[in-house]
Amino acid sequence: MKISKSKELSKKAKEKQKNVLEMLKSHGARIYDDLDNGRFPKFSIPSRSVSNIVYDKKLRQYILGSNSALRSAKNSAQLRSFTQLMWLAFFANRLTQEKKSSTLRDIYYSSQAFAVEFEDQSESDNIIVDLEAISSKPREDFHIFPEERSSIFGDLNIEYTIPGYEGKTMNLSNHPDGYAIGPSLTTAELVDTSAEIVIAVEKGGLFTRFIEEQIDKKFKSIIINTGGQAPRSTRTLLKRLHDELGLPVIILTDGDVYGEHIAMVIKSGSANAAHLRELTVPDAKWVGVWATDIEKYKLPTIPMTESDIKRCHDLLKDPRYGGGIWKKELDVFLRLKRKAELEAFSKYGLTNITDKYLPQKIELAKSL
Amino acid sequence: MSSIKEKFNQISPSEFFYSNRDLAGFSNPTRSLYTAVRELVENALDACDQKGILPDVHLIIKAVDPEKPDPKPYILTVKDNGPGIDSKYVPLAFGTILYGSKFGLKQARGMFGLGATMAILYAQITTNKPVIVKSSTDGKIQDEFEILLDIQKNKPIIVKHKTKEISKSGLSVSICLEGDYSKAGTKIRDYVYETSLITPYATITFDDPKGGKFRHPRFVKDIPPPPTIIRPHPHGIDVERIRRMIVESVFEIPNIDDAMIEKVRKDLGLSKKNLSFTGIMERARKRGKALPRQTRVVIALMSFLKMDFEKLNKIRIEDIDVPNKKLSYWDFGDSQSKSVDMDPESQYYNQLTHTVQGEPLTTFLTKRFQRVGPTTAIKFAEFAKFKPEKRVGTMTNQELVHLSNSLQKFEDFMAPDSSCLAPLGAEPLEKGIKKFFNPDFSAVVQRPASAYSGFPFIIEMGIAYGGEIKSGGPHVYRFANRIPLLYDEGSDVVLKVVNDADWGRYKVKGEPPFVIVSHICSTRIPYKTAGKENVADRPEIERELRLALQLLSRKLAAYMSKRGQAEMAKKRSNLYAKYIPMIAEFCTELAGKKKEPNYKKILEEVTIESKKTVEEEKPIENK
Repeated sequence: MKISKSKELSKKAKEKQKNVLEMLKSHGARIYDDLDNGRFPKFSIPSRSVSNIVYDKKLRQYILGSNSALRSAKNSAQLRSFTQLMWLAFFANRLTQEKKSSTLRDIYYSSQAFAVEFEDQSESDNIIVDLEAISSKPREDFHIFPEERSSIFGDLNIEYTIPGYEGKTMNLSNHPDGYAIGPSLTTAELVDTSAEIVIAVEKGGLFTRFIEEQIDKKFKSIIINTGGQAPRSTRTLLKRLHDELGLPVIILTDGDVYGEHIAMVIKSGSANAAHLRELTVPDAKWVGVWATDIEKYKLPTIPMTESDIKRCHDLLKDPRYGGGIWKKELDVFLRLKRKAELEAFSKYGLTNITDKYLPQKIELAKSL
Repeated sequence: MSSIKEKFNQISPSEFFYSNRDLAGFSNPTRSLYTAVRELVENALDACDQKGILPDVHLIIKAVDPEKPDPKPYILTVKDNGPGIDSKYVPLAFGTILYGSKFGLKQARGMFGLGATMAILYAQITTNKPVIVKSSTDGKIQDEFEILLDIQKNKPIIVKHKTKEISKSGLSVSICLEGDYSKAGTKIRDYVYETSLITPYATITFDDPKGGKFRHPRFVKDIPPPPTIIRPHPHGIDVERIRRMIVESVFEIPNIDDAMIEKVRKDLGLSKKNLSFTGIMERARKRGKALPRQTRVVIALMSFLKMDFEKLNKIRIEDIDVPNKKLSYWDFGDSQSKSVDMDPESQYYNQLTHTVQGEPLTTFLTKRFQRVGPTTAIKFAEFAKFKPEKRVGTMTNQELVHLSNSLQKFEDFMAPDSSCLAPLGAEPLEKGIKKFFNPDFSAVVQRPASAYSGFPFIIEMGIAYGGEIKSGGPHVYRFANRIPLLYDEGSDVVLKVVNDADWGRYKVKGEPPFVIVSHICSTRIPYKTAGKENVADRPEIERELRLALQLLSRKLAAYMSKRGQAEMAKKRSNLYAKYIPMIAEFCTELAGKKKEPNYKKILEEVTIESKKTVEEEKPIENK
């Protein structure tokens, strides 16, 4: 049964690769024809300006509106970025065809070999987002990954799809440091798991503590370290764990406004990725540390800075923070004007958080 | 008392300039050599201009002893092909300060020929050598003089005079003076170079003491129209000038002594013949206006006195009382004062009053000033609250001051006559700019004549950009009455105007390669100092300079933006040439094709477009 599922999944991956390649080819062919017929090639690209980012209640995430911009090789001001984008498509095509992976930084450096100039990495990053917007596909589909900084641990069997490892399986509880969430893991097939829940934590320190305390076993969970704001590969993985394996996702962050937003981005995406749809886990639940927890658990606190307070007010304008615990907790933060870190529980003993707080929150999550 | 009196000795002009020579630019050996070159070259050019001769000026500077270190004596010679100077005037012209032929009111490089004699004076006091002048007016005989100046008496001392036969007319002046060529050389070469730019119809050759030869042949064959001498403008004079003009118009009552009577008799043809009173009057009426003025005045007096020569010999005229129409005299025979009535109806009455009291104000204005008609003259009289028939000779000091002030204030005089100006002309100026700087772009403008304080002036200006011009501009070349101004540029009005300009607005940025040539022509350039190197900032002149510069700057801006567009078009075309092949390369692999698309067509399209832009710009560049 394991094998048949694996084959099915592998087929799916191949399908996806075929789609990407066909999409790239059709774009290339159109531009080829334009040039060959003495026309300046052009294409339209969804506008990513603030005015074109709208919140979709149904999808429960930010999406791009209907505005789009024309990019033409005839416009000398756009010629450079047009060429950059063509190169990126060309390079992504090679990556996808040869099943090679690259990182954002690697893309920036690779460009130099083709005499394609990027001012800095942020310019090349921006062109990558353009490609995503045109194709409505995340960069991971083109084998472009961020630098790895998040990791995973727990009883989960995966099967690699990357060249050289095809068919090879791995259990993600074999190594006590956890596994980096990189291209090979993100593209691997999720075969099976004994876990019943996914716990995402904001900090590496707590991730290690959870492994030491065998939270994976105690609570039948997969533990993920988001390393601050969760990278898109991690969010993709979270979504797949939820969608493909049917696991609920809970999120533990610091007790401040940034922590609350880390949870929100996993749940409903970020404005930066409004052009993409496959990155959200709408059912994910933020379980702490809440502002109300600060009072409830009498946590040691530090005062909020001015930028913390400003951020609170900014987020209150965001429709996603318009009600429920999201609004309630922001209001409490603003009232307290104080915040607490996950480590604050150490005041009551190093295992206080795993012994007392976490079980209560997991229980609570069921009712959220 | 007597000792104080001695201190008020009059000094001669020569002595005055001797003790104040630094005022005229002879302050040190460097500056003096430069100033001497300037004065002699400018005299030569002025002489040729006045006679409409295309000037050939040859400047030679030779060290007396080349081995000696500077400062040392140099022999400075300037030869021209001008009209020369009549041999009888040569000693006075070169041996007297303030003797000159340029006292009329018109534009010339020098005002009174003063500078040349200053150079001669300076040469004499530093080396004690005479000036050598060779002059030929007819192109056959040349007079050669060696002249020293008697400084105290302001009189020439002719050391030597000889004549010889030659083949062309012209003047050569040679002086021996203390100078410093190693320091003055750059300025002198600049001076010669810039003079040939502003005098394109002259050929100027310079042999320098180090054996260098600098030849600037003429590149324009026509001399600009010469200026005409004109009367002064009412705005351009002061009380002293008016007083002198009145004296010219008033004729003093002659002292009727034996000599005068003898002269009158002679004029009437009565030297040896006596006539009665009526006979004399009859004779005088017949001769009428043919008689000299002095004689006519005596006849007029006689007509009222009713005396013949014999009686006239025994009296002395005491007063001519015009308001009361009385003529009073002292009779030696009776030893008493007597008077007779003058009949205002008599033809002699007008003549006599005219003589005594000068012209009526209106006549004075229309006759002695430029561009004043009878209507304006009457209007002015009303304005100044003078009776139009008021005789200028009867004016008190106070009234003269009031007249002078009113002349300044009255605004209905016509603008000064600019026919006394001799601008170079836009065409030769631009030709010079193109030849000297070989720019990518040039433009010139000649402003209409304007005036400050009654002195007319014209601004000519040129601008040049790019080509062989060095960066670091604007480089400003200043000229006044066809003289290059090389010193003291910091305080000059032209510099001020150029520095005030916001060049960024005219698309000129950084250290641009561009040149501004400014030429001010006027009957009187308002120099800040006697050294004649920087022009003061009179608002009228500043305004004209600004307008000229703005006009040229706008032309430059138009050129610059065309140039910018052409550059942009080229850049764009380069962009396509760079990126389109890359796009082609990438999409070929993307589309899974082997052969690259034929993108030549669109590359050709953009090249043609960019060429179009460049061609559109060309006619403007040539303007």
